[in-house]
Formats: sequence, C-alpha cells, structure tokens
Amino acid sequence: MPSSIPASGTADVTHTTQTVPGPKKNSALSDILSLLWRDKVALLSAFLLLIVLVCVVVGPWLMADKARALNLMARNAPPFSLEKGWMFVLGADALGRSLLARIIVASQNTMLIAASAVAISIVVGGLLGLIAGYKEGWISAVLLRLADAIMSFPSMLLAVIVLFVFDPGVTNVILVLAVSRIPIFLRTVRAEVLEIKERMFVTAARAMGARTDRILLQHIAPMVLPTLINLAALEMAFVMLVESGLSFLGIGIQPPEVTWGLMVADGRNYLGSAWWLSFWPGVAIMLVTMALNLLSNWLRIATDPVERWRLQTTVGKNV
Amino acid sequence: MTIRTSIILGIATAALMTAGQVSAQPSKAVTIVLPAGPDRLDPCETPRSVIGRIIKQNVVETLVELDYANRTTLPRLADSWEQTSPTEWLFKLHPGITFHDGAPFDAKSVIYSIERTTDPALTCITRTKYFDGTDIKATEVDAHTVKFVTGKPIPILPTLLAQLAIASPNTPKGKYTAQPIGTGPYTFDTWTQGEKVVLKRNDAYWGAKPVIEQATYVWRSESSVAAAMVETGEADLAFSIAPQDATNPKTDKVYPNSDSAMFRLSVDIPPLNDVRVRKAINLAIDRKAFLGSIISPKAELATQQVGPSVLGFNPTLKPWDYDPEQAMALLAEAKAAGVKVDQEIRMVGRPAMFSNSNEFVEAAAEMLRGVGFNIKLENLEMSQWLEMANKPFSPQRKPNIFLTMHDNNSGDAAFTAFFKYHSNGRQSELHDPELDALIVNAGTQSGEQRAAEYNEVFRRIYQDIVSDVPLFYMVNYMRVGSRLDFTPTIANAVELQLAKLTLKP
Amino acid sequence: MGGFIFKRSLQSVFSLIALIVLVFFLARLTGSPADLYLPQDASPEVRFQFNERLGFNDPLYVQFGRFLVGLLHFDMGESLQFSRPAVDVVLNAFPTTLMLAAITMPIVIILSVITGSLAAFRPGGVFDRLASFISLIGASTPNFWVAIVGVLVFAVTFRILPTSGTGTPLHWVLPVAVLTLRPTGVLVQVVRTSMITALSSAYVKTAKARGVGSRAIIFVHALRNGLLPVITVASDQAAGIVNGAVIVETVFGFPGIGKLMIDSVMLRDFAVIQAAVLVTALAVFIINILVDITYALVDPRIRYS
Repeated sequence: MPSSIPASGTADVTHTTQTVPGPKKNSALSDILSLLWRDKVALLSAFLLLIVLVCVVVGPWLMADKARALNLMARNAPPFSLEKGWMFVLGADALGRSLLARIIVASQNTMLIAASAVAISIVVGGLLGLIAGYKEGWISAVLLRLADAIMSFPSMLLAVIVLFVFDPGVTNVILVLAVSRIPIFLRTVRAEVLEIKERMFVTAARAMGARTDRILLQHIAPMVLPTLINLAALEMAFVMLVESGLSFLGIGIQPPEVTWGLMVADGRNYLGSAWWLSFWPGVAIMLVTMALNLLSNWLRIATDPVERWRLQTTVGKNV
Repeated sequence: MTIRTSIILGIATAALMTAGQVSAQPSKAVTIVLPAGPDRLDPCETPRSVIGRIIKQNVVETLVELDYANRTTLPRLADSWEQTSPTEWLFKLHPGITFHDGAPFDAKSVIYSIERTTDPALTCITRTKYFDGTDIKATEVDAHTVKFVTGKPIPILPTLLAQLAIASPNTPKGKYTAQPIGTGPYTFDTWTQGEKVVLKRNDAYWGAKPVIEQATYVWRSESSVAAAMVETGEADLAFSIAPQDATNPKTDKVYPNSDSAMFRLSVDIPPLNDVRVRKAINLAIDRKAFLGSIISPKAELATQQVGPSVLGFNPTLKPWDYDPEQAMALLAEAKAAGVKVDQEIRMVGRPAMFSNSNEFVEAAAEMLRGVGFNIKLENLEMSQWLEMANKPFSPQRKPNIFLTMHDNNSGDAAFTAFFKYHSNGRQSELHDPELDALIVNAGTQSGEQRAAEYNEVFRRIYQDIVSDVPLFYMVNYMRVGSRLDFTPTIANAVELQLAKLTLKP
Repeated sequence: MGGFIFKRSLQSVFSLIALIVLVFFLARLTGSPADLYLPQDASPEVRFQFNERLGFNDPLYVQFGRFLVGLLHFDMGESLQFSRPAVDVVLNAFPTTLMLAAITMPIVIILSVITGSLAAFRPGGVFDRLASFISLIGASTPNFWVAIVGVLVFAVTFRILPTSGTGTPLHWVLPVAVLTLRPTGVLVQVVRTSMITALSSAYVKTAKARGVGSRAIIFVHALRNGLLPVITVASDQAAGIVNGAVIVETVFGFPGIGKLMIDSVMLRDFAVIQAAVLVTALAVFIINILVDITYALVDPRIRYS
C-alpha cells in the first residue's frame, strides 16, 4: 500500500492552518504537539486514545469491584437515567452490573489483545517481509508460500482449532490472532521493499559495502514504517472484531475475563429488549478504531518530511 | 435522477411482493424452526433430540409410547404386552401395518430393527444409552407376537422399548442411513444438507389421519432469528427460544424440558470434603433471585437430579433456602475446625449449556465470593468439559464446583442414579457402599417399591451426603405461530408429534 | 504467462501440503470425538468399538498414512456427523459460500472504488469526510451485530425482507449486505489513500500542467496506477470473506462452508475439516494466481520470468 495522504482528519487544515506557522520550537516533540493542536480532529482522536489509555492502566484497579457487583434488581436498567447513580448512566447488563464500569474494565483486555496481537504481527511480519523483499530466491519463496498457506486458512477456523487445543485465555487469543495476521504485514512490507531497494540511496549504500542488516534496518525499515502504522490502525479494528466474532461463536475470551468484543457478543441476545447491552461496547470499538485511523493518517503526514508542508502551510485547493 | 428513483421504486415493489410470497404458505403445510440441524436421520438415533424431534413418532414409531404426564407407558405399534417371567416378555403387535416402502410390519421386522440397533458395528445412541448390557434377544412366536428375552431381569423393558424406533427391514444393517423408512403418519421426503428436511403426510397411515399435510424443518442457532421467523409468519413453530425473546405471551409457551441444572461438588478434595463447606455453598446461592431474571420465571427450584416427571422423584425434599448468614457461620465453624475454607475453588461452566448459562455462573460465583469463598471461574468447551465430567478424574485436580445439566427423558430414575452416584458410575464423585447397594437394589424393583427405593437414594444424597448443589428444573420456550393450535408438553423435549398439531379454524 | 501459471501452481502445491499436514495434526490435537458422539454414560467397551470402527485407536502416523493413501484416490474419508463421504458434504456446501463471495466481492470493489476515488478527488471535502466516517464505521462494526439488527429492522419491523434462509433472491439481500460492510469499509480507505498518491504523483501533475486531456482522462490515468495496491487488499479481503461467511451463515441459516467448518471443529469431524480446508485453500490459491495475472495486465512494468 504505497501511499501518502492527508488524513480525512487533516481536512481541517484548510480552515485551521491559514495562519502563518508559529515560531520554530527547538524540541521535535513540542513541534509535533503544536501541529497536533492545529488539527482539531487529530487532537480529538489523540485525546480519546489518551482517555482509553488511562482506562487501560487504572480502570481495572479502580472499577473491578463495581464491574463485578451484581444487582439483579437493576437488571437491564436502561441508559441515561441517573436514578441509580452515575455509574448506571449507560445502563446495566443482564446481571445488573454497571455497563460503564464494565466497559472501562474491559478496555484493558481489549486493548491488550488488540495491541499485542498487532504488535507481534508487525514485528514478525515486518522482519520477515524485509528479508523476503531484500533477499530474493528460495528464502523469499518459502516465506511467501508459508504466508499463502496461513492466509488460505480462514483465520476464524484457525483460531477455533487452536483455542480448542489450548485454553482460550488472553495469551492464546493474542498469539493465534497475531499468527493469522502476520502474512498481511509480510506481504505489504515485501512489496514496499521490492520498490525501495531499487532506489538510489540503497544502491549507493550497497555499493559502499554496507552490511545487509544495516541497510535493512537503517535505510529501508524507516521508509516502510509509515505504511505499517496506517495498516496497523486498520488491523487493530480487525483484531477486535475477530475476537468479538469468536465470542459470538462461544469460543473467545471466557468470563470472568471481559472484553468489548465479548460484551457485544453477549449483549446481542438482548438486541430485541435491551439494545444498550451490545451498543455501548460496540461504540467503544468504533470510536477507538476511528481515533486510531484518523491519528495514524495524521501522524504519517506529520512525521514525513516530504508531506509535512501540508500541515504547516496553507493548503492548496488541489492536493 | 428519475431513472434512479424508478429503479429504487421497482426494487422496493419487487421486494414487497416477494416477501409476501415468502410468508404465504400452502394452507396445510407447516414450517418448524429447530435450534440445530440433524446430522444423520437414522432411526436408531432417535433418542437424540436433534433427530427425535423430526422423525420420532412421525416417520418411525416405537412399540411402546411414553406417557410423560402420567409416568407410564402406552401401546403404539404393540397392542399389548405381558411379562411371562422375570426375563421374558411377550409383545402383541398391531396387525395390518405396512412400512412406507411396502414391507409388512411383523415380528420379523421388529427382530430386524432390534438386531440393527444393537449391532456393535454401529454406535447407535439407542443401544449405547439404553440397551448397552441388557443382552436382549427377540424371537418370533407368530407373525404378530414377539418374545423378548433379557440377560438379567429388566422390570422397565417397556420403557426401554419406548426408545427403540422400528425401521423398515430394508434399512441397511451395519451402516447409518439418511433416509428413514418407518410406519409413521409421515413419510420422509427430502433432506437438503444444511438447509431443510421435508416430511409429507402418509395417506396410507394405519391410525388416525393427521391434519398437517407437509412439514418443513429448518434450523437457526440464533434464538432471536428463530423467534422472528414465527413472528413474521415465515415459520409456524420455533423450538426453544431464549427467555428474553419470549416476549409475546400469546405465542410463546413454556414447557418443562426434563433438564435439571446442578453443580456437582468434588467431595473428596479439601475443602469440599467437609460437609459444612458443601452446605454453605448450597445456602449461599440465591436461586430464587435468578428466576424471572436470567432464568425463566417458570423454571422450578431443583432438589435432586431427576425432575417430577421421572419415576423415583422424591417429592418430600424441599429446595435449599438462601441464607448467607448461616453459610458464613458454617464456614466459620469449619475454619475453626481446621478446614482451609479460603483455598481457591474452581467453578467450571460451559458456554451455552442453557440460555444465559454464562451469566448464571458469573452470578453464582459472585454470590459464593459474597460469603467468603475464594472462587476461580472457568468456562470449558464441550469436549474439555466432558473430559472433566467423566471418569477417570485427574489425580491432581483442584476442588471444583462443576456445572452439569442432566436430562432424563426416559421417565425412570435408573438412567440417572447409577451413572451419577454409584461408585462405578461414569460421572459419580461418590463411593458410598450403602448408597451403591440401595441403587442396585432399586433397579431390580418395579412399581411403588421401585419409586420408594429411588426416593431413599435421592433423600440420602440430598440430606446426608450433600454432594450437589441442585439448581433448577429448566423449561424451554416454544413460539407457536397464530395459525397453529398447540400447547407444548415435556414430551417435546425429545419429540414433536406432527399429528398433534392442529390448525386454528 | 503459461510458464508463470505452472510455476505458481507448483509453489501452491507446496503450500497446500504444508497446510494439510498442519490441519491433520492440529485437528487431532483438539481431542477425541468419542465423548461427543456417545452418550455420557457409554461403557468403555462401547467407546473402544467406536474408536475401532473409525480407526482412532491406531497410532497417529498410521492414521496419517491412511489419510495420504486416501488422498491419492481423492478420498478424504467419511464425515463423522453425516456418515457420508466428507468430500460430498463439503462440495454440497461450497457453492453457497462461493456464490456469497461472488456476489459480494464485485459490489465491494465497485462501491469502494467509486466512493474512494470520489473522496480522493477533493481530500478534506464534505464527501471525503462523510465517506471516511461511514467506511470506518463499516470497518469496525461486528458483523453478527449488524446481521441481527438487520433481521430485526428489515424483517420484523418493516417486513420487507425475509428473516433468514435461502430460496428467493431476496433471501440474499441481508447476508450480502452484511458481508459487504467490512471489506468495503477497509477498501474505501485503501482506494482513497492510493488515489490521492496517484493523483498527486509527478506525471499527473505534469499532464495537468501541460493542459493535456480533461479531468476525466487524468482520473482514469490515476486510477490505473492507484488500483495496484487495491488489488492486493481486495484479494486479502476475498480470502477473508470465509471469516464473514462463518457468521453470516450462522445467523441466516445459510448452508455454506463457513458454518460447516466451524460445526465440524466443534464436533471433531476431522474428515470434513480437512476436506473443507483443502477446498477453500484451493479457491484462495486460484484467487491469488488470478490476482498476479491481473497485476501483469494492469501494470506492464511487472514481468514474469
């Protein structure tokens, strides 16, 4: 996916960056932050992800008891009512537990699973992709055919089989989802490398006798990274959805562990009578997906010296 | 723009018209939604509800029919029977019946069906569940009289024979069939894999002619979709929809499904080897709070493995009270006596064991934590769950509270007591010689005496041993469409006699 | 080209063998089917008979050898659930899923190429923002949820579509719509991204500067280049459609291979799992080879040696 785009979020640049860029900051971080400040959609996304991060870190510690407390009287209590206290502002589930508390507590597992699975597949898939792209011949062929084998095996089926062999704990769910997504990263990286390695600076480095691993990691990897980040943002959503689909089939994460995917899957039994059970965790998945995508699109431009002008100066009518 | 509008209008019209066609059915045909599709429609597999609900007593019939309401047996293909000695029975067959393929129903065909069903080359559920170890031999006395000889006395042979479907002698031996041929009021028409099974009325049926001419069985695992099908008129009857989908009292009817839910306790492993701890668990679970919330309000609190429809059910036992104070007191007492009551105990459930069973175990675990237990909750997939349910038990296993669901739809406690409580029972945690003797003895009795002895078995387990946490006698909801006049009963746990469906005028 | 197809097919055989070995052993690691097919109180003798009849008492390598010998005769064994040849069971279910995919993918591609390109035409415009918003919702909504909501809304409330099942073309509307959602969401993002790149690339700019051609011609030029990454992602999504099919078939009671596979894993029906994986894998490999050929057609720079 060779691409460079202003995020849909950066749409706002047209309106918000009409002003002359501010005085130059020394620190790159503050530079980025000031860029972020100008793009309100990206800013909002970052803010949302920050909130999620806080929930991930302190949520279970703060709310675990509230998320577990039964209250069969408040079963399926509807949202937007403060009668039972602000914990029930999103309503209660089939056991009368606060949906808000459960969404906050579930954020930890959800994010842990999605982020770890994607991180593992980025690192493994990325490295293998670098090798497959740079070293043609049998190594590349074997790696590609293995990737083909995994990709032709429906990931849902693979997950079901593996989770039947091993217990469906968080670690195993992460591993199986990671393995099933490695080929995507492998192929994408390889495609990029094939193109980049013919460029001038790589051939130059090679001519000067640089070692292969240096060329790969210092020259090529940074060029591939932006594409990977964009892909990773979409993959996060995918992993959350597959995990939810597994719960729908009854084989994903098992209670008392909880994830947003599991909440949607369990709540779907009540769609006719209490829509909020599956709606709010679904909204959580959606918001995180959007925030990640908008921010990753923005980040890609902000970190790309060639594209960055788009954010700093007035943007032309045609890009 | 106008083109687009007209296209949209066209599609919408077509949609409405076709939808109308879909919901319109031939007047005397019904569509029935099952929770799961059949795998093999073999007559020797009728005790499995996925198969029995389609073909039992519709396509294939049995010699004897169970009368669940009165805990007794009724004649069906056999007109009468008598026990001529403890191990010998004579069954008189109804004359003049033919199978759907034209073969005559006679003593030879009964013998053939028994041989086919008990053939070790197949693992038919009728054999492995009901006839294993009975050593049953059938011989022809005359064309319409069969003599059964059993290896040991079986006082409930008619009850057993109510499970054995009689198939045409042209059904192949030694391999499963997908085309059941019987004597019933309906003939098997087609089975489209993954999609539907169609039965047609048998106009040459030997008994009363049923109203319904054709029945189509489809299956939907999502309860909400199954319920929607009846609501929209696409189907006439949906078996077992979830309690939360049973929102319309006019169409949604409840029936006991002969399942009893229970926690089995690992009574050998500390701290569950202490009876005070086991009593505390029983007292700490607020069973009533579940009724009307995640369990149907029509379910009943259980006292023993078998339900009221089973011979041997002990009606004098009362459900445990919810008394957390007493539970805590018992725990304190046990703790003072040196029992490690705060040791971690595994609570093991299984997803989708019954509607909302996941929520149930989460809540039950929370209730036990409330009185001071240290509970670790686990949900196991079917195969793993079975491994833990069955002997041999793992020697290193931790103390566990194990959710089970037992269905005894044969009407006799014999199919429960040995298997669940005898020292040699495959799912028994107990090894009490006195109880073993009671169970074995009860099995040889008949009538009142049989009931009384099983009553004592269940009393002992409930009051003296406290090896279980009886929970609920479960119910199912059936959604019956407005065209049909039908009220489900406990028999519908395993069968649905199409002949009993009538159309509203 | 012929040589290329031959080479790719040969390589695919390697992948297929790896896959078959993997599935054979993985499936058997999930435990014995005896518990699932026999009553819970079955005696040890009955269990032995069951395993003996099906050959599960033999060591694993003997079973594997038998499987390979059968495979040479195109015999994948007998289905445990259905007591019929596994290949028959799978081939019965396959057309439904293939049909679902064959209807869904063109819709996905047409919808996302149009939406994505229009969005790329004026990045940051109202249409772009709306398209991004909606496509991200599509990419992040669990499909079983959409499916059930779809049934409740269109079949129960408005009564314009049947709830489930097959039969008329109308029965396919909801399943296809649900199946379309996620791949479209992802592809719109991809098309948009690569079209923006293509539109801003040097030669399009040059063309524009020279005043060559209309906007439409430039657009077509860009499309040709922008479509390359789209093909890659589309083929991935096509292979992934089996995942969606599992859920769609479960909710709507479609007799397809997705549901069959999951059921077979649950019921430890090894023969069907193996046959189903083999058939889907073959389909995916064919898609992959077609994709490679499409590449060559779209991008003359790619040569196959």
